[in-house]
Amino acid sequence: MIKFGRCSLVISLVLIFLLVSGLTQLFAADTLVEVQKRGELLWGADAEGGAPYVYPDPQKPEQLIGFEHDLAEALAARLGVKARMVQNQWDQLIPALERGNFDIILNGLELTPEHRQQIAMSQPYYVYAEQIVKRKDTIGLARLEDLKGKPVGALSSTVAQRLLEQMGGTDLRIYPGNVESLRDLKARRIDAVVMDLPIALHYAKPDPELSFSGAPFAPGYYGIGVRKQDLQLLGALDQALSVLGRDKTLERIYRKYGLWDERQETLKDYRPEVVSDRKPVSTLREWPKYLPLLLRGAAVTVELSVLAMALAVVTGLVLVLVRLYAPVPLRWLARAYVEVIRGTPLLIQLFLIYYGLPEIGIRLNPFLAGIVGLGLNYAASESENYRAGIQSIPRGQTEAAQALGMNRWQTLRHVILPQALRVVIPPVTNDFIAMFKDSSIVSVITMVELTKVYGMLAMSTYDYIGLGLMTAAIYFALSYPASLLADRLEKSLSYDRR
Amino acid sequence: MIVVENLVKSYQSNRVLHGIDHMQQRGEAVVLIGPSGCGKSTFLRCLNQLELPDAGRITIGEVTITAGQPARIAEEKDQQRQLRLRAGMVFQSFNLFPHLTVLDNVTSGPRIVKAMSKEDAETLGRELLGKVGLDNKSEAYPGQLSGGQQQRVAIARALAMQPEVMLFDEPTSALDPELREEVLKVMRSLVEDGMTMIVVTHEMQFAREVADRVLFFDAGRIAEQGPPEQVFSNPQHQRTREFLSRVTTR
Repeated sequence: MIKFGRCSLVISLVLIFLLVSGLTQLFAADTLVEVQKRGELLWGADAEGGAPYVYPDPQKPEQLIGFEHDLAEALAARLGVKARMVQNQWDQLIPALERGNFDIILNGLELTPEHRQQIAMSQPYYVYAEQIVKRKDTIGLARLEDLKGKPVGALSSTVAQRLLEQMGGTDLRIYPGNVESLRDLKARRIDAVVMDLPIALHYAKPDPELSFSGAPFAPGYYGIGVRKQDLQLLGALDQALSVLGRDKTLERIYRKYGLWDERQETLKDYRPEVVSDRKPVSTLREWPKYLPLLLRGAAVTVELSVLAMALAVVTGLVLVLVRLYAPVPLRWLARAYVEVIRGTPLLIQLFLIYYGLPEIGIRLNPFLAGIVGLGLNYAASESENYRAGIQSIPRGQTEAAQALGMNRWQTLRHVILPQALRVVIPPVTNDFIAMFKDSSIVSVITMVELTKVYGMLAMSTYDYIGLGLMTAAIYFALSYPASLLADRLEKSLSYDRR
Repeated sequence: MIVVENLVKSYQSNRVLHGIDHMQQRGEAVVLIGPSGCGKSTFLRCLNQLELPDAGRITIGEVTITAGQPARIAEEKDQQRQLRLRAGMVFQSFNLFPHLTVLDNVTSGPRIVKAMSKEDAETLGRELLGKVGLDNKSEAYPGQLSGGQQQRVAIARALAMQPEVMLFDEPTSALDPELREEVLKVMRSLVEDGMTMIVVTHEMQFAREVADRVLFFDAGRIAEQGPPEQVFSNPQHQRTREFLSRVTTR
């Protein structure tokens, strides 16, 4: 019965989801009508490290600038409305558009067959090309093929990533933003970055340590993304773009940001190729293809969590011993460590360790940086668990040990810690299981673990539910045995069996 | 054997012991009585340095500790340990180590502090458990024993360090009346063996039977002392009379 109940719960959740998404598609009028009624065009983009597309003005950080910002203003003006940017992580723009978070995507979205299968795309507004960026002191690497066997960076789910994956043979690192990959390039963690020319022009060209390598290649178009059913909106956008091209507004905007080149003359020659509708992919039915990929990510998650937890358990013990028993200045240090680590986000700690430490000459690879970051973060929490455990042991235990003549270390080693151990097993296990899930955060420092694999596969298949269920099942299969093991350990250490 | 001179102890501004002087012969059993809060437990805990006195001097056997004098830390700690090795302590709440078996509780002191071999310590431990009548419980855990049994294990644990003095801090107060006798019996046998003892207790009958001398504590001072028949039958001090009439009519 229980089994049936759970199963039907999942099925009904899925049904509700399908029903709601179907209904909104059926009854929603064309978004163009809604935009005009609202008086606002909502455009989705990622302003984080988003120069020169859209980014906060360095002089006035509360204000956005960028060539796409100016383009959005011009487009909205043509439609007779105002433009408002909606911040969204770049590699999640398409799902967010389909969820209805905003009306259009205007953020360096390439006019590729893959994108045109998922959403409708306008005529192009910019011709980009790929550019290899290297350190000034590196020799060669002028062509894509030269990058084989080298550590190379690319922005997550870009054409650059796809080109490198198709070629194969490189040690490819995927970055969540543009700034991070160039930082790693300068920190000598990687030898080259392949990126869209506008990004390279903005970030890499002015940098004295970096230089362009070879000529731009693999040109392509940026287009505006809209939902497939919004045909009127698409038509209005195409028309507006044509006008902006003819009256040189586009050229003016691109010149303002130093992005105009002769390639832009080819914009008007664009002819869309016909793409077939995308077939819905059921990753659940094709699990033999997807599960191994997910499991490879899970292996990284396990390695990372186990090593980081080992570091946390040991460092936490040192911290608590220092905090409770060391001379006063050291005690304060241990306490300050715990408070600072607990009071700041793990994400920022990871960024500081991975991108900050190279500034003072400490260069950790992503795996090591992940272990150190997670481990030192959890150490603070473990030391608090231990402290609670140690302080739960009655004062009389210490007195009895002292009365026998034990010194402080003997008391701790033979009387206090063995009893505290049992008390702290449940909270430490809890942290270990939390670590499995928290470890997904290391994707920001280019680690590809289970959640990242899920994200990448979901983005290419659009089967968020099937992959999501598989991924959740893997996480559960990892954490449940951990809690069973802890149960058993706790029982085997129990001494008040009556 | 035991010499205490001018022992003073305060908690913040509250003076608990007002310069106690006490001398005790080897083999003498002394019982401390008095109302709660009179300082008798504090006095006992100062003797093995669980409380650090503010002033005064304590000598047990050949070891002397002078309180309140700035001393080199390491040497002071060593003196403290030497003193504790000579004084075994039994607590009101037993304070057995719950994660160790009865035998391991008894052998923990010799093995950890004196680095005695496992075999020697266990031989000694079994002998002492036999003495307190618990040789059949050596593999049990403290949680599986009654209060009276636990306190007997605690006595064996203290004896395992072969102390020169045994200090008892209300050893039967946490026990149900029917379990007290088994503990008192063990204590009586220790007196018969000639152990030097200081016992803080409310068991007047026990004091009357086994004490060589009774000390009546009142407000941080020894108000009266003498052989039990004298203190119990013919108390000299007004406060002693009041206290005895309260506890014996109960």
